[in-house]
Amino acid sequence: MVQCVKALDSPFAAIADPTRRSILTQLARRDAPIGELAQSFSMTLTGLKKHVAVLEDARLVTAKKAGRVRTCTLGPRRLEREAGWIAGFQKMIDDRFDRLEALLERTANN
Amino acid sequence: MPATLTRATITTPTDREIHIERIVNAPRAQVWRAYADPALVSQWWGRGNRLDIERMEFTRGGHWRYVEHAAKGISGFEGRYREVTAPERFIRSFEWDGMPAHVAIEFVTLTDLGDGRTRINIIMQMHTPEERDGFLQSGMQGGMDASFAELDKLLSASRS
Repeated sequence: MVQCVKALDSPFAAIADPTRRSILTQLARRDAPIGELAQSFSMTLTGLKKHVAVLEDARLVTAKKAGRVRTCTLGPRRLEREAGWIAGFQKMIDDRFDRLEALLERTANN
Repeated sequence: MPATLTRATITTPTDREIHIERIVNAPRAQVWRAYADPALVSQWWGRGNRLDIERMEFTRGGHWRYVEHAAKGISGFEGRYREVTAPERFIRSFEWDGMPAHVAIEFVTLTDLGDGRTRINIIMQMHTPEERDGFLQSGMQGGMDASFAELDKLLSASRS
């Protein structure tokens, strides 16, 4: 699951997952070591690292190594807020167009 | 046709614009009617919420006002038509009650793809990047799940 999403190097794919959104929410409060994040999400270190890798690919998160500790911080993508907004906007637009499609089906051949 | 698999493409090519593109499985004349007839608009534009078309003078200079009754509250949208060229294009000003007097211009273009489908292109053009961001956030008003809203709040607080 995590692997297939990873191929899509986009902030939208990255934030499509609720765990990754929670990670971003947590990092917005303060930087956190990977171990601490894993603990707070009751995940294995390996599982959490996969999520962080997806967020890193989307440049939403940067993981810096200091000694033996890898600390995650919000990434350089200045688009991070925008990415969140667009995801909400996308839903609004898709909901609207889905209704349009349904209407078009109902009114076909009229 | 599995309409539910289709998604709109949303891009922000400049910091004052939102581009939306979606292909629908219907001929252009029919899609135009869905935009031009208030009785039809009320059946889809509100995303399943009750939508009152308070005013819709679908002609250059005419006014429009839609009011959407969503679970989270009532939202009004209004403006005037700058151009109405059936069946391919209309341009209107677009104001959301949540951001009064921040006027966007909406360009809606329908392209006949020649195979019974129609491409809908919408460009929303704002005066400032702040307005653009405000409009993008209006998506938060409906159907947003709580974690997104919370994320946004936190990110704005920590980044501004």
